[in-house]
Amino acid sequence: MLDPEVLLSQLASGLVLGGLYVLIAIGLSIIFGLLGIVNFAHGVFFTLGAYFALTLYQYFGWPAVILAPIGVGAIGMIAERLLIQRLYDKEPLVSLIVTFALALLIEASVRLIWGGIGQPFSPPPFLSGIFIWGPVLITKYRAAVFGTTVVVLVALWLFLEHTPFGRILRAGSRDPEMVGLLGINLPKVLTWVFGLGCAISGIAGVLAAPLWTITPAMATNAIMPAFVVVAIGGLGSFAGAVIAGLLVGVVIAMTIQFWPEASGAMMYLFMALMLLLRPRGLLGERWERFE
Amino acid sequence: MDVLKPALVLPRRKLLLGATGLAAAPLAMPHIARAADPIRIGVLLAKTGSIAAQTEYLANGTFLALEERGNTLMGQPAELVWLDEPSPQAATQNMQKLVEENKVCAILGGSLSSNALAEEAKAAELKIPFVCDNAAATDITGKNCNRYTFRLNTPVVVQSRMLAPYALSYGKRWYHITASFAFGQDILKSSRELLKAAGGTEVGADEVPLNTADFSSFILKIRAAKPDVVVGGLAAGDLSTFLKQWNELGMKGKIPFVEIAIGDTDIWSVGAEAANGTFTKMWYYNNPANPPEEKAFAADYLKKHGKPAADKAWMGWITAKSLFDSIDAVKSTDAMKIVEGLEAWKFQAGSTAYSYRRFDHQMLVRNLAVSVKDKITDKWDFFDVKATLPENPADLQKVFGSEEEIGCKMG
Repeated sequence: MLDPEVLLSQLASGLVLGGLYVLIAIGLSIIFGLLGIVNFAHGVFFTLGAYFALTLYQYFGWPAVILAPIGVGAIGMIAERLLIQRLYDKEPLVSLIVTFALALLIEASVRLIWGGIGQPFSPPPFLSGIFIWGPVLITKYRAAVFGTTVVVLVALWLFLEHTPFGRILRAGSRDPEMVGLLGINLPKVLTWVFGLGCAISGIAGVLAAPLWTITPAMATNAIMPAFVVVAIGGLGSFAGAVIAGLLVGVVIAMTIQFWPEASGAMMYLFMALMLLLRPRGLLGERWERFE
Repeated sequence: MDVLKPALVLPRRKLLLGATGLAAAPLAMPHIARAADPIRIGVLLAKTGSIAAQTEYLANGTFLALEERGNTLMGQPAELVWLDEPSPQAATQNMQKLVEENKVCAILGGSLSSNALAEEAKAAELKIPFVCDNAAATDITGKNCNRYTFRLNTPVVVQSRMLAPYALSYGKRWYHITASFAFGQDILKSSRELLKAAGGTEVGADEVPLNTADFSSFILKIRAAKPDVVVGGLAAGDLSTFLKQWNELGMKGKIPFVEIAIGDTDIWSVGAEAANGTFTKMWYYNNPANPPEEKAFAADYLKKHGKPAADKAWMGWITAKSLFDSIDAVKSTDAMKIVEGLEAWKFQAGSTAYSYRRFDHQMLVRNLAVSVKDKITDKWDFFDVKATLPENPADLQKVFGSEEEIGCKMG
C-alpha cells in the first residue's frame, strides 16, 4: 500500500526540481523570444553560476554569493557583444553551431581554472536540516530554493509587465524592426536581454551548487531539461515555461516513485506527447517572425 | 612575351634526376626515418562527462609511468596519443583511428564498463593489445574475454564478494540503488545473488539513469523502506551527488551506505561534511602498508601535481607500467609479441606480486576495505583502511574465481 506521505513528499521534491528547471528554461526562452537565438551555451552559464558561488563563498563568505549571477550576466553580455550579435541575421543552424562551440569553450575554461574534479560545496549551516510539515518532508535548503525561485519569477514578471524596459522587450520580441524605427537602440537592448537570460541561468546554478556535484560538465544535467521545458511550455512563453518546468519536475519525481528506470526518459516522452497534442507547446502562440 | 631568366632554367634531365633523387631519399636512409618516428601508445579515456574527473587522474598516472622511463621504450622515443571515448560507438571509432592513423602499437584505457565492453571487441577485430585500466564489468575478462584484452580493475562480482561481509554486518534487509548501465547492472546481479545466499531480503531496488542530478526522490523511497543498509552501484559523479543529497536529506549516519570501487575523486567531490560510507577500492595513497615502489610513485605524483595521487592515478600508472615493461621485455612492437609479454609480465612491489592471470588476462590485486573517517581534518585524506582483502594473499586465485567459474574462452 502506497504511503500518501511519501507521495506528497515526492510532489514537493518534484516542485523544487521543477523550479530549478523553470529558472534555467526561462532565460533560454527570453533569449529565444527576443534574439531568435537557440542558445546551446545556456547550460554553461548555469555552470558558471555554481563555480562563481563556490569561489565567492570561499573568499568572502555566504553573503557574497549573491554577486555570482551578476558576474554570470556580465560574462553573458560580453559574449553577446563579441559573438552572439554576429548571428542575428544568420541561419538558425549557424547559431546552433556557434553557441555549441561557445559552450565547449567555456566548459574547457572552467576545467582549466577550477580543475576537472568535482568541488565540494554544502548548503549554508543556517539552512541545514529538514522540515516535516504534516505529511510533507522537505529540507530547509530545498524550501529556500523553492522560495527564491518564486521570488525571482515574480520579480521577473513584474519587470517584464510593468516597466518601460519590459515593454520594449515584449514589443521587440514581436516586431524588432518597428521598435528600432521608434528610435530605441535595439542592439543595446539585445545585449542586456542576453545578459539577463544568462544571469537567471546563473541564479539557478547558484541554487543548485550545494545540491548537485559541481563539475565542469554539470551543464549537461541542466541544458536538456531546459530545452524540454521550453518546448513543452511554448517558445518564448513566460507562463508556459513556469507551468512546464513544474510539470516536468513532478513527472520526474513520480516516475522515480513508480518506474525509476524510466525517470531519465520520461520527460522526453512527456514532451513528445505534449507536442502531439499541442504542436506549439502549452501556451505557445504563432510568432510571425519565426514562421 | 614571357622571358625566363637564365638562372632559373634547368635542363630537363637534371630536373628529372633531382626530383627522382628527392623522392628516393627516404629509401636511402630508412634508419633516419625510423629513428625519428617515436613508438606510439594509444590512450582511450573520456575527456568530458561525469567520468572525466577520474580519467584526468588515470591519464596523469599513465603519463607519469612513461616519464619515469625518460619517455622511451626499447631505447627509442615513445609518446602517448590520447583520444576521447564519449560513447561506446565513438570510442571504437577513435580506437580504429588510433590504430590506422596514429599507428599505435597498443592501447590503454576503458574508463567506463559500457565503453570497455565495446572496445575489447574492437581490439580483437583490429588485433591490437588493449589494456583496460578502469572498467570493472565482470564480462570484460569473463565471457567476453579475448586474447588481446588485459584488465586491471577487480571485476564487480569479486569486489561484491569482498564487500558483502561488511554489508551483512549491518543486517540482512538491503536496498539497492544502482546505475542503469553495465557497471550498475553487474553490481545489482552480484549483490542480489550474495544476499540470497546469505538468506537476506531486498527491501527495494532502484536503477538510476546515468547523470542523474537529483536523487531526493530516490532517497525518499529509501527512507520509507527502512532498510538495514543501502548497497550502492553508482558511478563517479552520480555517487558524489547521491552522497551529497543523502547528507542534505538528513540520512547520513541513520542508514549505513556501502559500495564497491569508490574513487578518491568521488569522495573529494562530496566534501568532508557530507562524506560517509564503507567501500572497496584498489589503492589508497595514505595506506601505511603501501610497498616502497608505490610510496615512491605517490611521492613523484605529489611532486609533479602538487596534490596526492588518487587511486585512479595509481591505476593508470600500474596498467601503463605493465604495458611498457612488456614492450621493453619483448623488444618489439608486434601485437602478438606484446600480448605474450603482458602474459609473462610480473612486478614485485614489496611483498605484493602483480601479474595478469594467463587464462583470463585479469590482474590479481588485493583490494582495500575503507570507511570514511569520523572526523576529516585533511581535505584529501578521507579514509581509514579497515582491511586488505582477501586477508590471506594465498586466497587471491580463489576469490577471483576459477577458470570454470569465469567462463573465459579465448580460443
